[in-house]
Amino acid sequence: MSLVGELVVLLVNGLQTGAIYVLLAIGLSIILGTLKFVNFAHGALYVVGAYIGLLITQQISIANGQLAEWGFPTLGLGWGFIAALVIVPPIVFVVGLAMERFVARPFYDRPDTDQILVTFGLAIVVQELIHALIGPRSYTYDIPSEIAGGIPFSGPVGVPLSAVTIDVWRVWVIAITATLVIAVYAIVEYTDFGLVVKAGTRDPEMVRLLGIRITRPYLVMFGIGAGLAGVAGVVGAPLSNINPEIGMTILVPAFLTVVIGGVGSIRGAVLGGTLIGMVQVTLISLGTVSLGSLSINFTPWAQVGIYALAVVVLLTRPQGLLGSEEVTA
Amino acid sequence: MSLLELDAVDSYYGQSHILRDVSMRVEEGEICALLGRNGAGKTTTLRSIAGARPPEVRTGRITYKDRDITDMETEDISVLGISHVPEERRVFANLTVEENLHLADVVKNRSNTWGRDLDFEHEGQSIEQILEDFPRLSERQQQMAGTLSGGEQQMLAIARALKQSTDLLMLDEPYEGLAPQIIETVEGAIERIRDEGTTVLLVEQNAVAAMKIADRCYVIDQGSVVFEGPAEELRNDEETRERYLGV
Ligand SMILES: Nc1ncnc2c1ncn2[C@@H]1O[C@H](COP(=O)(O)OP(=O)(O)OP(=O)(O)O)[C@@H](O)[C@H]1O
Ligand SMILES: [Mg+2]
Repeated sequence: MSLVGELVVLLVNGLQTGAIYVLLAIGLSIILGTLKFVNFAHGALYVVGAYIGLLITQQISIANGQLAEWGFPTLGLGWGFIAALVIVPPIVFVVGLAMERFVARPFYDRPDTDQILVTFGLAIVVQELIHALIGPRSYTYDIPSEIAGGIPFSGPVGVPLSAVTIDVWRVWVIAITATLVIAVYAIVEYTDFGLVVKAGTRDPEMVRLLGIRITRPYLVMFGIGAGLAGVAGVVGAPLSNINPEIGMTILVPAFLTVVIGGVGSIRGAVLGGTLIGMVQVTLISLGTVSLGSLSINFTPWAQVGIYALAVVVLLTRPQGLLGSEEVTA
Repeated sequence: MSLLELDAVDSYYGQSHILRDVSMRVEEGEICALLGRNGAGKTTTLRSIAGARPPEVRTGRITYKDRDITDMETEDISVLGISHVPEERRVFANLTVEENLHLADVVKNRSNTWGRDLDFEHEGQSIEQILEDFPRLSERQQQMAGTLSGGEQQMLAIARALKQSTDLLMLDEPYEGLAPQIIETVEGAIERIRDEGTTVLLVEQNAVAAMKIADRCYVIDQGSVVFEGPAEELRNDEETRERYLGV
């Protein structure tokens, strides 16, 4: 292995890990920045996406869940990963619409603490529901055969390097994320829809006085954020095991991404997520480093590294790297 | 049938009873001025008509184009052709001048108004006309509205309303904070859209300026209508002017 090759692998892994955070953070950040809604149930959307994706992709056997007792010892469509990737986002989009309408909307004018309580409660309900129905065990996604291979990478032309292999499927995750991010960015920045949402952030009554129904754009915006979280669930799950608790686990780096990037900023979410992904992957792959008699294993410090990054950013730029200073949420 | 009719309207902010038995008519094609002292209830009247809440209209009826709009939502009233410029320069500080002006046209994009009744006859002023009227805005189209001066923000709020397609334009203290020369421009624009057929309901502290361009006037005091008649009549009615307007 060459240094260049290792760095390329590191970059790809870091971007891919970061991509999951980016997908999650965009919805979280927009909902927080424009609708001023603190959504602790955003991770629940990720779990829902991951489980629906799992059930579409493959067949699973249910060990300790109610569903087994109700006559479904095995469950799942076995349609493959690509099918999940296509079907899950619209489903979670609709789940997001329902969440906006029945959970978020009644709480827009309530204090942050109320919003946190209700969404945190919802996240726990979802977690326990999955726990009860499908059981506590962890499932693994098979990396889809369509995109399971590797790309041999041997460095720039003419430079003799021993080759490394880049996982095709990681490149896929990065590409899918990039496409979606660009699409959402374009919608928010260049359409009337985005304009109305931004105007509504400041003065919803004036928007309505201009004849514009603000509830509809809010609803759709929430749905888009949810759909992205669903995509994150599908593309993120093969990386780790799936269990009912992953929604809560992933919420922490997702919020840190928002905080580092700046609330309400899509570009900030991209930057924040990428940084977190890179820091995490770098620390994990450093492994054990020996300096004379001192040897440190960096892998367990990956999580600490993310927090350290957040602390440094917040101390130097409290509004986040690309956040505008006015946002107070 | 008048374009807009208020029939014995009573409006409240919570427990406080503000408008008492207010009846008014605004005729198509006129400039109607609503005058009165501070706290008389002028803003409350406009907000009641526009469906902005609070206040709450508890009794009485507001009819516009033969339709009962008393309990309709603000945005639905707006697309029937009532545009309301509230007091205090409500521009979107986080958007550019150009984007603020563009918001006046969003209702023409059917994805937002899909499934709702639209009913306006008079096209708004063209962007060219508006930029000609307000050269200061023209020079600052890419500037964030929040960084405009107070007077420029007021111009922007008025310009945005002029750009809306509307049959009844309600202006709450449009001259507030504007230099005399700009007031003339605004007066000119109001008279022009009146001549093009749009009806105007004008609320002003500056009663003299309002009476100058108004066809008819209402004077309101402590939430009740105390005078109704042609502007000419109010100009000649010294007692009413002194008692209720202080001029
Ligand atoms: N949101 C509110 N809650 C309670 N009372 C209000 C509210 N808004 C206005 N009022 C009261 O209603 C009365 C009428 O107010 P309104 O704003 O209609 O007056 P106005 O004629 O527009 O005065 P001005 O010329 O000062 O703008 C006032 O006594 C005011 O204190
Ligand atoms: Mg007022």
